[in-house]
Amino acid sequence: MLSKLLGIIPGAAVDGLILCAEIAAVVLPLIIGYEMAKAYGVFERPWPRLRPALARLGLGPGALVPLLAGVFLGLLYGAGILVSASREQGLATGERLALAVFLVTCHAVVEDTAIFVLLGGSAFWILGPRLVLALGLTAWLARRARRHSAN
Amino acid sequence: MKRGRKFLWFLLINILPLYVLSEMLTASGALAYVSGFLAPVMSLWGLPPEAAAVLVAGMLVNLYAAAAVAAPLALSWQQVSVLGLILGIAHNLLVEAVVVRQLTPRYHALTWLRVVLGLAAGWLLALVIC
Repeated sequence: MLSKLLGIIPGAAVDGLILCAEIAAVVLPLIIGYEMAKAYGVFERPWPRLRPALARLGLGPGALVPLLAGVFLGLLYGAGILVSASREQGLATGERLALAVFLVTCHAVVEDTAIFVLLGGSAFWILGPRLVLALGLTAWLARRARRHSAN
Repeated sequence: MKRGRKFLWFLLINILPLYVLSEMLTASGALAYVSGFLAPVMSLWGLPPEAAAVLVAGMLVNLYAAAAVAAPLALSWQQVSVLGLILGIAHNLLVEAVVVRQLTPRYHALTWLRVVLGLAAGWLLALVIC
């Protein structure tokens, strides 16, 4: 029994290495792409056209950089930008909550989706519902907050 | 480049041991035995009972750990998508809560929200595509 179990280790290790290589082949270009986008200053641009959309989510223009960092990089890799930007931009408590609600539901969209697509999952069904839920929940919170302040 | 090399190490350290462990647990029948108790629950999501280990690995560790556990299980694309949706919303809960805490003091509630939302969304998705 034990020798049989130990016997599968080499084969399993090779399979595990192949999985590592597949994930690396997908995620490494993402890391390089992010470094390039950062070098071109994509994250520092204000993107004025997005303001109305952000407002519907209860977010001011200052929340754009932390939102982008979270959505594309994830809570952990984006944490540095996320936390420092939300401090520097002086985000209000409500904005921070909206940002947190959006991002816990939907972050690291490329990387997280890619992992399960490699295993055979459907990108549409993995990412679509997350995006819809994040947008819906945040917009609903923002509407509720507006009503409260109107009363 | 330095980030890239760090990431490769991260992958090897996270995936290899769990992948090997997962195949050993499967081959020895231990996974089937333990997950037998969970079969009725997991069938709610159209998942085999062994997928419970994938959910635990994803929620408590991270998605790379979940992938390492899931890969040897031979799941259908529907099952992988349901797992991907549940875990996409609710993963790496303990570590990520530390980051969320920097944004809002209500990080506890948000962590529970992720678990409930993830399981509910996965259940609905299973109804739609399975």
